[in-house]
Amino acid sequence: MFSSLGIAIKALFSHKMRTFLASLGILIGIASVIVMVAIGKGSQKEVMDVIAGMGENLITVNAGEMKRRGGRLRLTGNVTTLTVRDANRIMEEIGEVESVAPFEEKRMTAKFGNASAETSIAGSTFDFHSIRSYHLKSGEFFSERDEKTANRVAIIGMTAVKNLFGEEDPLGQVIKVHFIPFQIIGVFEPKGVDTNGLDQDDLVLIPLSTYLRRIVNQTFVTRIFVKASSRENIAKASEKIRELLRENHKLTDDRNDDFTLISQLDLEELKKETTEMFTKLIVGVAGISLLVGGIGILAVMLISVKERTREIGIRRAVGATRRDIVRQFLYESLIIGFLGGGMGVALGVGLTLGLTLWGEWTLILDSNSIWTASWACAGIGVLFGVFPAIKASKLDPMEALTTE
Amino acid sequence: MNLIEMNSICKSYRNIGFETQVLKDVTLHIKEGDYVSIIGPSGAGKSTLMAIMGCLAQPTKGEYILDGEEVGKLNDRKLSRVRNEKIGFVFQAFHLLPGVTALENVTLPLVYAKNPPRNIKERAKELLAKVGLEHRLHHTPGQLSGGEQQRVTIARSLINDPRIILADEPTGNLDSKNGIETMKTFDNLIKEGKTIILITHDQEVAQHAGRIISIRDGQIASDSKVSHEEQNRSL
Repeated sequence: MFSSLGIAIKALFSHKMRTFLASLGILIGIASVIVMVAIGKGSQKEVMDVIAGMGENLITVNAGEMKRRGGRLRLTGNVTTLTVRDANRIMEEIGEVESVAPFEEKRMTAKFGNASAETSIAGSTFDFHSIRSYHLKSGEFFSERDEKTANRVAIIGMTAVKNLFGEEDPLGQVIKVHFIPFQIIGVFEPKGVDTNGLDQDDLVLIPLSTYLRRIVNQTFVTRIFVKASSRENIAKASEKIRELLRENHKLTDDRNDDFTLISQLDLEELKKETTEMFTKLIVGVAGISLLVGGIGILAVMLISVKERTREIGIRRAVGATRRDIVRQFLYESLIIGFLGGGMGVALGVGLTLGLTLWGEWTLILDSNSIWTASWACAGIGVLFGVFPAIKASKLDPMEALTTE
Repeated sequence: MNLIEMNSICKSYRNIGFETQVLKDVTLHIKEGDYVSIIGPSGAGKSTLMAIMGCLAQPTKGEYILDGEEVGKLNDRKLSRVRNEKIGFVFQAFHLLPGVTALENVTLPLVYAKNPPRNIKERAKELLAKVGLEHRLHHTPGQLSGGEQQRVTIARSLINDPRIILADEPTGNLDSKNGIETMKTFDNLIKEGKTIILITHDQEVAQHAGRIISIRDGQIASDSKVSHEEQNRSL
């Protein structure tokens, strides 16, 4: 058994170039799979980070039914039933809720001096920044007193700062929205885009009371942000919020919700589905590339058998059984498979580390994919080596000896 | 006792639907220690007879008893073992593994032996020394002359101490000097008690043996003993 292995190793060693070329298909296949899985895992982590960055243990209550359209969640209709009162009751009556922030926004033009820019004018309450993880870069958040008195103060996001102020320091300046002057009391740290690719820094936040009374003159809001007390409580809190809102909105059992709850868990689930699709795609590509690699092995082994017909005859003459011959060639293809796999893993891991280190990529090595890839290589080596090996063993010894 | 006992051996090959009979009802007995030449023109069936004798092929019909064992119907594993243990081959084209040293070529049969001896290397060196190649142990066939290659082949055929040496045109690719050397080696092996079967088309080479079997059209045409005078004259 070990002697067959030795023979196989020797044969491969004496044809280094051919051995390398035979394993090339497997090498490239495995390397690309490892890199692709790393890219997939990396982008998944990025998305999860974005979701987590939207706010820890976040539940969003949206007014109206939400439907997926064009890959994004969009509100349907104009529902006026969600109110600040709802938000207050959620805060007061549900134990699993840590804080709430009713929220309303609208794209409007903000002006500073001669500069004007369209931005999202948003109104919310004091807890907004902690729920949605908006941190202050400078200045301060508005106080509860500002809210009570519907004061005209604003905190501004970095994109809006760039559009309105350029390089100038916005703190203490006065911008005008809808002819109403607002004093900038704080600037948010940049947050980047959300899961839908929307810029979260393009906003001017003002107290909700100011917004509802001075800008839009309405009593309803389109959204309430809720922070559950812990990750485990998200589901429970969601359920209680649903019950409370249905009761508050006097919805009878035959009517649908006039609001939509989306929790952090829902978003994660949604993104996981996309990632799983990507994974399936990778598996498909991996399968094809391994098949191609296997066919490479098949071709090289068939050539090798043909070329060594006389050697096979000699071995048979001195006492090698068919099984010995099968074993010898199977070992060869197995080693080619492993060699390709090994080099592929090395290349894949190298590329992944290189891209992470020098590129702007978030790649995550997955040890699982590396293991699977290695075993797949061994499998491919054997699978595509079986036919040539059997062919070699079936040669008539006498004919094999007389072959030129 | 007969070491080789072939009774009514037939061998036919099927080729694209046509059946070609190569051996027709060959009956042949060879005693242990015999030195036998099998002679005949090319295409007469010498090689096929050798293949069957050497367990490289099996007869289509008939009975082949080798060393008391019916080998005509053995499976591949058992047949390979018979080849490995009881028969040493010497080929016209030498059939050494290219790129492998003389020493490794000689030990090749032991790779497939069921119970290989422990001192494989020593045995191989001894045998190579016996054929005068102690200075060529680590040369590959490409670095050896024809005569030297043939001697390596002979050493290889002896490594597993077989009862029978099957030599197929052993002098065919050699000059006369090396040819004579080879025949002398065979004479010595006979003295050691080996059974040698020499397949050739050369009448003169055949004269070395004590018995000449002539094959024609797949059948034995004649089977005659060679007198000692004739044997000596050919030397």
